[in-house]
Formats: sequence, structure tokens, C-alpha cells
Amino acid sequence: MKESYHIPSEVAQRINWVLICIVISFLFLVINLWHLQIIRGIEFQERVVKNCIRSLVEEAPRGQIYDTHGELLVNNRPNVIVSIIPAEVDNLEELSHRLSPLTNLTSEEIIQKINKNIDNPYRAVKIFNDCPQNTIIEIEERKDKLKGVVLEVYPRRNYLYRELAANCLGYVGEIDKQELEKSKDSSLQGGDIIGKTGLEKYYDKILRGEKGGKEVEVDALGREITTLLWKKPVPGNDLILTIDKDLQAYGEELLAGKKGSLILSNPYTGEILALINQPSFNPNLFANIISYEDWQRLSTDPDYPLINRAVQTTYPPGSTFKIVTSLAALEEGVTNRTRTIYCSGKFTLKDQVFACWKEWGHGSLNFVDALAQSCNVYFYNLGKELGIDKMEKYMHKLGLSEKMGIDLPEVSSGIIPSVEWKRREFNEMWFPGDDINLSIGQGFLLLSPLQMHSIICATATEGLIYRLHLVRKIFSSEGQLVQEIQPELFRQVDISRKTFQLVKEGLRATIVKGTGWRANSSEISIAGKTGTAQNPHGENHAWFVGFAPYEDPEVCVTIFLENGGEGGEVAAPLGRAILEQYFKM
Amino acid sequence: MERRLGKLMENLDYILLLAVILLCFYGIMVLYSSTRFGYGAVTDDPLFYVKKQSLWIASGFLLLIMTLLVDYHNLERFSLVIYIFSIFLLILVILVGRVTHGSRRWLNLGPFPLQPSEFAKIALIIFLADFLSKNRTKLENFIYFLLPFIYTVIFVLLVFLQPDLGTSLAYLVILLIMLFVVGGKIKYLLTILVVTFSSLPILWSFLKEYQKRRILVFLNPNLDPLGSGYNVIQSKIAIGSGGLLGRGLFQGLQSQLKFLPAQHTDFIFSVLGEELGFMGGILLLGLYSIIIWRGIKIAREARDLFGALLATGVISFLFFHIVVNIGMAMGILPASGLPLPFLSYGGSFMLANLIAIGILLNVQLYKMKW
Repeated sequence: MKESYHIPSEVAQRINWVLICIVISFLFLVINLWHLQIIRGIEFQERVVKNCIRSLVEEAPRGQIYDTHGELLVNNRPNVIVSIIPAEVDNLEELSHRLSPLTNLTSEEIIQKINKNIDNPYRAVKIFNDCPQNTIIEIEERKDKLKGVVLEVYPRRNYLYRELAANCLGYVGEIDKQELEKSKDSSLQGGDIIGKTGLEKYYDKILRGEKGGKEVEVDALGREITTLLWKKPVPGNDLILTIDKDLQAYGEELLAGKKGSLILSNPYTGEILALINQPSFNPNLFANIISYEDWQRLSTDPDYPLINRAVQTTYPPGSTFKIVTSLAALEEGVTNRTRTIYCSGKFTLKDQVFACWKEWGHGSLNFVDALAQSCNVYFYNLGKELGIDKMEKYMHKLGLSEKMGIDLPEVSSGIIPSVEWKRREFNEMWFPGDDINLSIGQGFLLLSPLQMHSIICATATEGLIYRLHLVRKIFSSEGQLVQEIQPELFRQVDISRKTFQLVKEGLRATIVKGTGWRANSSEISIAGKTGTAQNPHGENHAWFVGFAPYEDPEVCVTIFLENGGEGGEVAAPLGRAILEQYFKM
Repeated sequence: MERRLGKLMENLDYILLLAVILLCFYGIMVLYSSTRFGYGAVTDDPLFYVKKQSLWIASGFLLLIMTLLVDYHNLERFSLVIYIFSIFLLILVILVGRVTHGSRRWLNLGPFPLQPSEFAKIALIIFLADFLSKNRTKLENFIYFLLPFIYTVIFVLLVFLQPDLGTSLAYLVILLIMLFVVGGKIKYLLTILVVTFSSLPILWSFLKEYQKRRILVFLNPNLDPLGSGYNVIQSKIAIGSGGLLGRGLFQGLQSQLKFLPAQHTDFIFSVLGEELGFMGGILLLGLYSIIIWRGIKIAREARDLFGALLATGVISFLFFHIVVNIGMAMGILPASGLPLPFLSYGGSFMLANLIAIGILLNVQLYKMKW
């Protein structure tokens, strides 16, 4: 066989030209390589060894939080952090031994922290938080022996009134791996401080701001030679809350030593004036990294101080729920102003006997008196005649089956029972006895204090439910208004005004001559309803929901005391106290 | 059959093959150095990337051997199918591709994500070689001259949409060199170049913000010393500090400290430059030169124009990647994200490289009729 050239000579020539181009390009690369590595090599080697580029992050201060009158609730204070710039360390082992006694960390812990958090050797790795003054001085003095160690000042969250509204404000902490993965925000990095619960979490993006950074060239002694780049951090926006600090403090005093919640809001705007949960906790403990002991203590406390009870937990509402039964029965024509029912103290359904709370009975009662006296037998009758499907319809109308509108994360929706629900959960049919229990807010029904609160708001306004909110305005750090939160009609309840008005009359009678007499005030006209909810977890829960003034409602209140006892006895007086305080101010 | 196999074995270009094998070993070594501390939070296994890359190399050689079994002339029959299938894949990527770092480049096929734009380079070379060799004389006509340009622009735009600026440029360069070799009129080539350059301002408006920034930062790295400019500055420092002999393998300071975000892919040359110095760089360029030299030889001695053009295409492809990648690492060309042949970590690219070598060997093998 014989090799043969078939390609045109022109093509062969052009291939030669390509070869020449390639040779020239390669030579060009070689010359550049020579220039970079041989001619300028020493210069670059010095830059690596001596002059380091340090990139220092400048954390943006989180936005501050003020109460409705502009009183400061949450700000930031400087926190000195001991950090290490890995690229500048000659001998990590040695350095960690020197640093260990200054930071109460073992040298292994220091090395571990660096290895875990290094992503760019010129970026400082945080080692030790909240460095005390004498340690700062000691580190400054021994700077030559602590090459690579820098002191950085970070803003640290400071809750001025500690426990005050802590469950609403929430707390901040270092972002964890899961949060980092879940977050769609690409500006977040490991080690960043984010809102973990409450408003800090809900408004995290607004509060966080944008961090800045500095790129500086430093010499062998760690002195800054030139600033290559400086990006100023942008502080987060400030929040103006709807909460009135003094009312909040007054309410927390009222509930001190108890377990429970208090919600006070304007039913025509949805602004929450006070949202109290007791017991509370000190969010400053979380400000950077919470100690193990504190976390253990708080997270295993049987009274759940970290929980926002009013929003996150659900309970049987007891007699306060008779408001809903009333609305349904009046609207459906099951009862009216004049219908009377005789209460003998007992109600019999086939072979089951349901008792009224008044053993010897109320006698004959019309609707208003029945609601005022909270007569169970009257409502058993209504519940039986209405049946679950109609009750369910009205619970839907009041928006109970939906997630509550409020600017807080983790909102619980409770249990709104129905035929379908019971079949799904228990694989059982709905019994007539279940209707009886539901009519007085017992049985399967579970509502959060916040849901109960929306019922009293809807009643006070005769059908309007505004979205509840804790933030009124958002300001930039320069004091410019960024956003004003407008009242937002969350739901318009499809129940006639006449029905609402009659129920309100009953609620007023409850205070004037009924079970809520302890809430009766000589200064203002209060309307409301008490509740005493039996529950399998011990002592009864005490409830009070109400509004004032009766003629022209301005403010609604919900009080819930877990295992507190009789609603009329313990919750109603607190309701009067907070309402009187509100009108005094 | 056995005799034929023997003949094939006898006529294989062993110099080329050896250079490629050495390059693969060289690459694995540098890859190990740059990834042995694990990379980010991906893994603790120091051999994680080396194992994966070795697997790709092995599969690549398998594909290479398969390419050798059939005379390259069979490709002529399938060139249109290959071309259309590539377009299909590129469209698929845009529709359902996986997004990483802001661009859609990968197709998820089971455990192995594939990057169709890499295989499209091979497809383009085959298609253009077929078209140009058959229509050589018609290229005198400017309309005919424009046809291969249009065929290529479809690829360019589809990849541009991902967006992958570097790869779309690579397609254009492959086309231009092949057009030049087949004897395209210099006048026409210049016209196209001028039109392309004058339409740059229009293209500029289509560029994504990050691409505009990359180009601006290339023109002045100090614009953004924390971002993309930072990579280039640090890469220059790494290479520069390597000096004549380098810090020694596995001894790099800049690179060991993981400062480069893509030190096992786009910036692998920085690791090589720092640890093995000027000599290491020369060794690398030397091995590349062997491939180019053998490639040029194969192109010139090819049995026909189709073979010559195939070889030219493969050479242009490798050449463009080498120059742009090393130029980028040294800060003399923009950061275009083109990987370094046989060295950069990446499955699809490695497979495409080895298939390309297979085609080259094939053209040399079948230059005689058996």
C-alpha cells in the first residue's frame, strides 16, 4: 500500500498558516509565562509572603425596633470578636495554644472552628464573641506574637427591656446549615446573623440590611498599607410597632406569675396594641450564640417561655365560643330575641345527660339572658338544632379554617371539627353528642387565643375582620419612611348586622348582670364573654373576650390563662383592668 | 479481520496517543493537589474529584477506541443527523436544564449530568467538515459562503442563551479556522469579521449583567477586586509566585488555601503554575504542542478534504481552549469560563476531548484504503 496525498495543495498551504498562528499564540503564552513567573516572580512571591490582602467583613447593623410612640425597644451594641485570618498564620498549632487561655476555648476547638469555617483564607474566621476589655488590651499588647489574630467589632442585638414582648419580637442567631440551604437569598453566608423567631424572623429581610466589606493590603506586621476596596454596609430598616410599650408592660405585670396570653387590638385597623405572653424570656441570651446551659433551661422549661402562646398554641375555647353558636343560631333562625328555653340544670340526649354549669338550673331564659348567664342548656338546644354542618358553615364564615392573618411566623390554625374531619382523624361518624359539646366550645374544637380574638373583633365591628399586625411603619436608617402598613380588610363576614347587634346586646348584658360582672367598670361600658374550658391537662383554662366602649367599639381584648381556673373569676377582672388602663392613657 | 486489526494497531499514531495519556496523568496529579482537602462542603474524601475524573477518563478512552473501529467516512452519512440531534439537545438544555451559577448548562441524565454544548463542538466539526468538503468550489459564491456561518450561528445563539459566552465564541472560532483552511476567500472572511465586530454593540445589549461585568472587569481588574477581578488578581499572584520551578507539587500556598472558586475547573492552570512553576507550564505547553504538531501532520496527510477538515476542526477546538484558558489564568484574556483540555475537572468536556482525539487518530488511521 502506498500513502497518497489527496488534499489540494492550497488547503495544505492554509493548514501551514494555521500552524504558524498556533505557534505564535503558544510563543505568546510562553513569553507571558516567562514574564509573570521569571521576571516578576520575586515580586509575586513577596506579595504572597509579606503583603497579604485582607478582606474584612463589615456587618450591617440590624434595623432598630420602636414602639408605637417611637420609644426604642431594640437596638445594637458593639461586640468585639476575636478572629483569625488563616492566610496570615504561620503556625496554627502554636497560635491556638497562645490564644486558648485568652478565650476560654481549647486549642483544638480553635483549630476546629477555623477548619470548619474557612472559605477564603483572607477572610477572618470568628473565634470568640464578646471579648472583655482586659482581653482586648492583652491581645493588642501581644500583637507581634499573635500574627493573624484580629479584633473585629460587630453590632450585637440588644433588647432594652429584656423580657418585654420577647415572644413577639423574637430573637436572632447565627444562620444554621438548614436555613442556609432553604434560603433563596443568595446574599446569606455561613456565620450571618438572622432573625430566628417572631418579628425578627418575619421582617428579617427588612431588618437585616446589606453587609459591606473592606479589602486591604497589609504588610508582614499586619499594618494596613492600602485600602483596595471599601463597600459601606447599608444598615437595615427600622420598624415602628403598633405596640404601646406602657400598655404592654402594664399587661405583662397583670399576667406576671401566670401562664397565659393577652391580646389587645383596634378592631377597625388590626393594629395590635399589646400582645402579652407569660412566662417570657430574655432574648439577649440569644444575641449571638446562646450558651448550652441557657438553651437547655429555656427549651426544656415545662411552661414553654419561648413559645408565643397567643399565636402558636391552641386550646378549647369553652363558653367564649357561645358567641359563634349564637351567631349561627340567630342567623339560621334557630332562635331569636324572644325564644325562651327552660333550663333545669340538665339536658338529656337519649341516654346521655349533659349538665349546665348551674346545678339547679336557670329556669326560663330568653336569648340575651341565656348568653349573659352563659346557660349551657340553652346552647345545647341550639347546637342540637343547628347540627354540625351549619356550625361548620359559620366557623368558615368567621375565617376560623384559614390561617390567621398576622405578621408573625409560625401561626397555628387549631382544629375546626366537621363530619369529614372526624371521619379522617378517627374513622368515626359524627354523633349528636358531638354537636352538644361543640355548642359550648368543648369537645374536639381547639382555637388559638388569636383566633378567639378575631371572633371578638368581628363581633365588635359587626362583621369586619382586619388583618392583625404588629408593625405600623418601616423607616430607613436615615429616617425616611419606606412603608406605612395600611389597615387591610382580611375578611368581611357574611352575617347580618341585626344578628351581630343582638349578640352584642347579650355580651353587654354578660358584663352588666351576667357571668362577666367582675369586668364591669364604672368608667367605661364594656361588653364581653367569659369562658371556663375543661381540658384533660388539669385545671380549667380561663378565658375572657371583650370590647369597649359597647356603643362604639375602639378596642378588643382577649385574655387566656392556661389552667387559670374560672374565666369569670380570674380572667374578667384582668380584662377590666387592661381596658381601663387603655382608656386612662 | 485479525490481520486488519493488526494493521490498525501498527498504524496508530502512538506519539499522539502517548502525549494524550501523559496529559491525562498530569491533569489527575494537579487535580489531586487542588482538591485533596475536599472542596467546600461537598466531601471529606481527598480523592473524591480524582476518582470521578478517572472514571471520566476511562470512559473517554473507551469512546476513543470505539471511534477507531469504524472508518471516519461513515460519519459523512450521519453528519446531518448529528447536527440536528445536537440542536435538539441544546434546546432541551434551555428548556429543562439544571441551573448552576446562574446559567443552564447541564442535562440531568441519571447520576451523570451532561453538558451538550461540549459534545456540540464535535458535532459542529463533523457537520462543517462534511458540508465544506462537499461544497468547496461553491464557496466562491458569497451566499454559499454564508451558509456554514448560518449553520454555526444556530449553535452560537442556543449556547449564548444558557448563557455561556466562552463556548459560543469557541464555535465561531472553529468555523472561522475551518473556513480559512478549506480555502474561503480572505475578503469574505474579513467581511464577516468586520460585520461581527460592528454588531458587537447590539450583542452587548443582549449580554447578561454578569457577562458585561466580566468583560469590563477584564479590561480593568481593579474595578472589582472582591469579585471576578479578585480571581484574576489572585490567579496572577499564584502563577507569578511559582517562579522557575514552583513551590513543589502539593505545596501551593494560594491554591491550597482554597481562595480560587474554580481552581479545579477553570483555574486549574493557576494551581499548576504555582506548584510546578515555569517548567511545569512549559511541560504542559510542550505536550499540547505535540498534539497540535501531530494534528497538523494528520490534517495535511489526510486521504481527502473531509479528513483534513475534521483534523483542522479538532485542532482549532483544542487550540482555542488552551490559549483562552491559560491566557485567562495569566490575566491577559477575559475570564470566559473555558476549561483547559485534559486538565480541568469536568466529565462532558473530558469525553469531548477524548472523542476529538479519537477522530484525529481515525483520520490518520484510515488515510490509506485497506
